[in-house]
Amino acid sequence: MANESANEREAGGGRRWSSGRWTTVAIVAVVLGCALTTLDFLWAFLRAPMVSGANLSDGQAAIINGTVVSTRLLFSQKIFYFHVPVAIVSFCFIIAAAVYAVMFLARRRESYDLRSRLCMLVGLVFIVATMISGDLWTRHDWGVWWVWEPRLTTYFILMLLVIAYFILRAAVEDPETQARFAAVFAIVAAIDAPISFFITRLVPSSIHPVVIRTDSGLPPDMLVPFLAGIFGMALVGFGFFRLRLTLEEQAMEVESLKRSYEELLD
Amino acid sequence: MGKGDSKPEGTLADTASGARDAGAGSPAASPRRASAWAQYRALLAKDLRIEARTREMVVSMGVYAVLVLTVYGATLSQTGDALDVLNVASGLLWAMVVFTSLLGLNRSFSHERADGCMEGVLLAPVSRSAMFFAKATSNFLFMLVVEVIAVPLFFLFFLAGAQVGPSAWLIVPPLLLGTVGMAGIGTFMATITMDTRGKDVLLAILLIPVIFPLLYACVSSTSIALLDVVGQMGTYLRSLALAGGYDVIMLAAAWGLYEFVVGS
Amino acid sequence: MPTANDTPPKVTGPAGAGPAIRARDITKAFGSRRALDGVDVTVPAGAFLTVFGPNGAGKTTLLRILSTLARPTSGTLELLGADALHDDPNALRGRIGMISHRSMAYADLSARENLLLFARLYGVADPDRRVTELLELVELGHRANDQAGTFSRGMSQRLSIARALVNDPELILLDEPYAGLDPHGMRLLDDLIERIRPGRTFVMVSHDLERGYALCTHALILARGRVVLQGARDELDADDFRDTYLSVVGSLTSDVEAG
Repeated sequence: MANESANEREAGGGRRWSSGRWTTVAIVAVVLGCALTTLDFLWAFLRAPMVSGANLSDGQAAIINGTVVSTRLLFSQKIFYFHVPVAIVSFCFIIAAAVYAVMFLARRRESYDLRSRLCMLVGLVFIVATMISGDLWTRHDWGVWWVWEPRLTTYFILMLLVIAYFILRAAVEDPETQARFAAVFAIVAAIDAPISFFITRLVPSSIHPVVIRTDSGLPPDMLVPFLAGIFGMALVGFGFFRLRLTLEEQAMEVESLKRSYEELLD
Repeated sequence: MGKGDSKPEGTLADTASGARDAGAGSPAASPRRASAWAQYRALLAKDLRIEARTREMVVSMGVYAVLVLTVYGATLSQTGDALDVLNVASGLLWAMVVFTSLLGLNRSFSHERADGCMEGVLLAPVSRSAMFFAKATSNFLFMLVVEVIAVPLFFLFFLAGAQVGPSAWLIVPPLLLGTVGMAGIGTFMATITMDTRGKDVLLAILLIPVIFPLLYACVSSTSIALLDVVGQMGTYLRSLALAGGYDVIMLAAAWGLYEFVVGS
Repeated sequence: MPTANDTPPKVTGPAGAGPAIRARDITKAFGSRRALDGVDVTVPAGAFLTVFGPNGAGKTTLLRILSTLARPTSGTLELLGADALHDDPNALRGRIGMISHRSMAYADLSARENLLLFARLYGVADPDRRVTELLELVELGHRANDQAGTFSRGMSQRLSIARALVNDPELILLDEPYAGLDPHGMRLLDDLIERIRPGRTFVMVSHDLERGYALCTHALILARGRVVLQGARDELDADDFRDTYLSVVGSLTSDVEAG
């Protein structure tokens, strides 16, 4: 028993050291990420050229809600430098959550469950940011608050899936069952989201045109801020993830120390 | 395993003593491993027999479907023109199917929960895949029975005066594909929610976003079938293929993950 | 797994050959919660182990691990000569029976239909005959075609025993089998357990010190996921055992009152 708690102390000490190092890494990531994101913003507004609105797949002018949207030079396009990186990063976090979920089911370590949950959490923050920025764009460019367009739909569904994930967690009391169900659902959600995109995109809707942007081949003035945005936001997300992880791990350590203390009292 | 050669025929008295070295001599007890197929049939027969006795699922789903139609009746009472209804008919039809299925899926595990029956089944050397597919099959059959009643009623109530094209029978394939997918992934999700707090709402919260793509594809193909197929056969078939693809992928995922849902 | 199918362990007492259960350092933990913490248990074939302990001591978790429905976080577990954590769990499930305080019988199926279902799931050679035998054994022959939902608590319990015996198990797990039974039902249950006892190993979880101790050949007290006391009943001092049990239950009660 004494030997065991000595081992635990040692392990705890090791964890503290590494968590301290991770905290530094996380803070650096957040700061660097913020700097890159700022660069993205400044570049987007000051240097990147104005572009015209979305093109339709068949090259005709798109008219949504009585407004021609494909031929105007759009200031609102600037949101592209914010919206698209956020969307890409949010999707990366959902994939990471599913990967951790698979690892949890394979090895049943609580730390994987924790990581999966935190990836979902950061993913949710980014998804909400995607939804808000996307909706502003929709409103300004297309003159409507909402269109059941493949990307918007997919992100809306993805947001519902992630919210459902957290509601599921809250509804299961036993922590192990909770982790198991959450992992299973995270995997299903990650499989479902791309299917959702393909189906909404491949099944034409008769009410709204299918808008496909041709974003490939960006000129350098657009590519630089775009990439800065992606890396910056990925770093911010990673930093938040890491900070929260350290926090949760320390909370767990406190719990286990409390438990050993109580046992010592007996 | 306890097959005493000395007592190939255990007498009733022997068996009634219950002792392992006496009772085990009975060849009737000698266990071999049941095939997954035999287990699937036994579990499916159990669900069908319980349903035949209680009619719980079909009656509650059927009544619910009629209630949904009644609500439609009130909400559409001011539209007047039958042609307008035809435009939204496939959506209304699918809304009814989804909500009715949700109700049924929620109930489908009520007798498994009671008295720990599900645990009893899990204690047996049962293939978890057989468990999943048996439950999914029974749910599929109950949903199908309800659809056979509710869909004609829907036509009778709302499309009696409408110009339904001759291709209306083409709503059958999307209905089948949609029901297969909902029964499969729905059974999977209902197994997760059966022991949770607020399970009825939770199942809807989990299931609706997951089946959204299937719903989207099915509404599209049903819509084309109801309005007119001419010139849109390609879209119809593509929607059906996508619905089928969804079914295959999601059923495979559910089948692969089911072990983790029921086991620890 | 040659040992599983060839040699039936025909032991009638604790003096049997290999142990039916050999658990080493079983720990079940998730987060800071430890349901079981380094539990060592050895149960000889043919023995009857009763596990005592206050609520939340980890008794049910231990039983779930022994029934293969839960996996320990760490430790090794040998059940009936097989490695319970690495061998095919379904092979093992076919050799274990469980009786709990819940009937595990479908209320809308008759007693016979319930048993037939489980006989088919276990792959019993002649389900009809086996079910008839079992209904005789638990004296439910006259109610065979009545729905299980109409049964009294005692009858459900007997049906549950018949279900657990469908596969003629070598190891029987009992989870609070006396819960909710009247004195007559308890006597009947004791009777039945005595009758099915020869040739099988038992593990019972119970609150009932008197009954549990009277039935067992081995006893174990669990508290906060740890073994406080265990041994063969012949070697244990009954008064000592009772005092330990009461102090464990008492200390927990005072904890609850204080906290």
